[in-house]
Amino acid sequence: MKRLAELKQAGHKAFVAYIMAGDGGIKKLGEQIQYLQERGVTAIEVGIPFSDPVADGPTIEAAGNRALDEGITLEKVLDEMQRFDFEVKVPLVIMTYLNPVIRFGAERFTQEAKKAGASGVIIPDLPFEHRQLIEPFAKQQELVLIQLVTLTTIDSRLEEILKEAQGFVYAVTVTGITGSRDELAEEVGAFTRKVRELSPVPVYAGFGISKESHVDMLRDDVDGFIVGSAIVQAFHEGRIEDIEPLIDAVTAPHSV
Amino acid sequence: MTRVKICGLMEEQHVKAASQADAIGFVFAPSKRRVSIERAQELSRLANNDMQRIGVFVNASYEEIEKAVKAVPLTMVQLHGDEPDELIQRIEVPVIQAFSIRTPDDVEKLNNSIADYILVDAPGTDYRGGSGHVFDWSLLENVNLDHSRLILAGGLNRDNVRAAISQTAPFMVDVSSGVETDGRKDEAKIQQFILQAKGDSMERTQEKTIDPVGFFGRYGGQFVPETLMKAVKELEAAYEDAKNDDEFQKEYHHYLSEYVGREQPLTFAARMTEAWGGPKIYLKREDLNHTGAHKVNNAIGQALLAQRMGKRKIVAETGAGQHGVATATICALFDLDCVVFMGEEDIKRQQLNVFRMKLLGARVESVTKGSGTLKDAVNEALRYWVTNVEDTHYLIGSALGPHPFPTMVRDFQSVIGKETKRQILDKEGRLPDAIVACVGGGSNAIGMFHPFVDDEKVRLIGAEAAGEGVDTERHAATLTKGSEGVLHGAMMKILQDDAGQVQEAHSISAGLDYPGIGPEHAHLADNGRVTYEAITDDEALASVIEMSRLEGIIPALESAHAIAQAKKQAQSMTADELLVICVSGRGDKDMATYAEKLEGLS
Repeated sequence: MKRLAELKQAGHKAFVAYIMAGDGGIKKLGEQIQYLQERGVTAIEVGIPFSDPVADGPTIEAAGNRALDEGITLEKVLDEMQRFDFEVKVPLVIMTYLNPVIRFGAERFTQEAKKAGASGVIIPDLPFEHRQLIEPFAKQQELVLIQLVTLTTIDSRLEEILKEAQGFVYAVTVTGITGSRDELAEEVGAFTRKVRELSPVPVYAGFGISKESHVDMLRDDVDGFIVGSAIVQAFHEGRIEDIEPLIDAVTAPHSV
Repeated sequence: MTRVKICGLMEEQHVKAASQADAIGFVFAPSKRRVSIERAQELSRLANNDMQRIGVFVNASYEEIEKAVKAVPLTMVQLHGDEPDELIQRIEVPVIQAFSIRTPDDVEKLNNSIADYILVDAPGTDYRGGSGHVFDWSLLENVNLDHSRLILAGGLNRDNVRAAISQTAPFMVDVSSGVETDGRKDEAKIQQFILQAKGDSMERTQEKTIDPVGFFGRYGGQFVPETLMKAVKELEAAYEDAKNDDEFQKEYHHYLSEYVGREQPLTFAARMTEAWGGPKIYLKREDLNHTGAHKVNNAIGQALLAQRMGKRKIVAETGAGQHGVATATICALFDLDCVVFMGEEDIKRQQLNVFRMKLLGARVESVTKGSGTLKDAVNEALRYWVTNVEDTHYLIGSALGPHPFPTMVRDFQSVIGKETKRQILDKEGRLPDAIVACVGGGSNAIGMFHPFVDDEKVRLIGAEAAGEGVDTERHAATLTKGSEGVLHGAMMKILQDDAGQVQEAHSISAGLDYPGIGPEHAHLADNGRVTYEAITDDEALASVIEMSRLEGIIPALESAHAIAQAKKQAQSMTADELLVICVSGRGDKDMATYAEKLEGLS
């Protein structure tokens, strides 16, 4: 995770890819991670499928359902990650809803996630108020619990969340669920600028990022971009090379 | 506070009775209490997540122990044989090493143990692993011993545990035969033992139903995506404000009386009383409400609150359609925009209600995901709310969801129980002996029960849906078969698999077809104040016929579960007792199901 701060120092933008673990079978997980790190992404979010993903739009929900049909569980994903026979060169972050973690056991989850080589955890339905359910265990394993902030997060709360932010901050750029969109709202730029001023760690924009035009619009106001649905769909349809221009648009040196 | 371990569990109901303990033990060594790994796994699923699961072994191999640790999974291992230190070191989870204490010299051995905890017991008689005999606790006094790793066992029971704790100040007390009757665990003894061991501190937590952050015991909370936190907090503040505002309460009660038609009678059911041959049966007539069920009590309250917050758009989910109809009705009354999400399976089952909602001007969105029932409708309503949160209120229909919903829905539905209390006192001069209500998410039941929770003599019984049977895959019996989990914004009890995926529920009744139970019910189940029983589809249908013919009241399928349970309850009650049934709704909406299922009925 230190790498992310260094990247920001150097003035480069980060590209964080989200994948649904086990979409297409558990063996795809390693292949996809290898592909993405070779293509120069900064970090990878490994999504865990859940039966009731209320923060997700149709693309990620469908991918999750395909993974569930393959019998994918949190445990299987962590086991598979522990068996990787290639060098993982980028930070891996587990993104999961809370219930599978509770069921697995919070402490056991953080231990196994650490063994699996993860650097952090994102739990979209675990609000800042209830973070003590996971955070003490995460700390023991030196995993960071990444916080989300959104367009509806009020200022006093934003300050409170950012004060304790570690790793990076996930700035949700839409009022809604995950999924590709044509346009982002005008107010997003002002929001990410505000978050970036307050945040001690890099600020990455996510939810709805699928086009180079989104990147152009927010480039100066964030430290990086998180792309989920567009990548998940491209892997599913076997045309991941279509995403390469988007990765390049973010990571290539850019003169302003 | 001293922790409590209940050891040697073999049956489901005993694991549940131990829900307030800190640890449960499974014996894998030869013993009359021995269980297989598979059995321990099944039992373990019924325990709370933070319950320690301890496996008891005598001279087992490392491989055997590890296999059980992984499979159950166990969080601690307890060793009663002559296990070498190398074995203890290899075990990944914390280890408890057991010692038999006869003389002061035996106490010295304790300090040499490399295990994380030491368990002291009287010397065994039949087999190793504890005899149930009391040893002389005074041996543990005045010796150099780290009491924070001490686990006390051997001959403890509800009568002596308090004295044992005060004498030895152990980390944990361990009981097995002391909570048995005739060689079998006894639920009452288990609970009494825990109560004695934990003393007043537990009574306090039981009384305190809710704390400021929206928990009922361990259940509740606000587990929603960050986008919704602002709306949830605003709602919390707005409700707090409205609750204490006389004008708001006046307006709410005005609509209850002038529009809904309250108060509803508490009808004496003379023919059911006679037919069942037990207690006097009274029916709380929520079926007489405008729109046909109790749901409207809550819809009015929340719609008034939404307007107070300046929100004129409403989204709701519905199962049977009763909440959808109530919401659509109130939105028509107050001229609010209304979107209702409903599973496609439920749309098929409840076409009449779909038509009613449309007639009332609501938009009904069909949900095709998952099983196309209530759970999936809640998911879609939540997604819609996340996207439209700034101008939309989510009018949730049951005592579910993030705080303040469970409290707020309960308060709006408490009119049921408050009226019942007043009415039964008028008619009988005393409180009822038992009250039965059906539970899906649990709103009519919590509204009925809440005003009686402190009246300890009144037995409260919830009837949940057993579908085709709790031993089949097709049921919605969350309290009988479920376990702790987070769904739809709250920690509650849910039906889930080992990986934490929420399972699909099944009930003939669309309103009970939900794989979760509200947080307050989960809490009341844990502390034993309310008991919950499961009623099958067939039992519910039989009750529809029975009540229709005996009383001329055709109940909703949901309510029929309460009636079926009441009939069972009546068997063990006497003629001088009083039994109240909450008839949560009328059966008009279920006519198509009745016509199909009851065909050929004479």
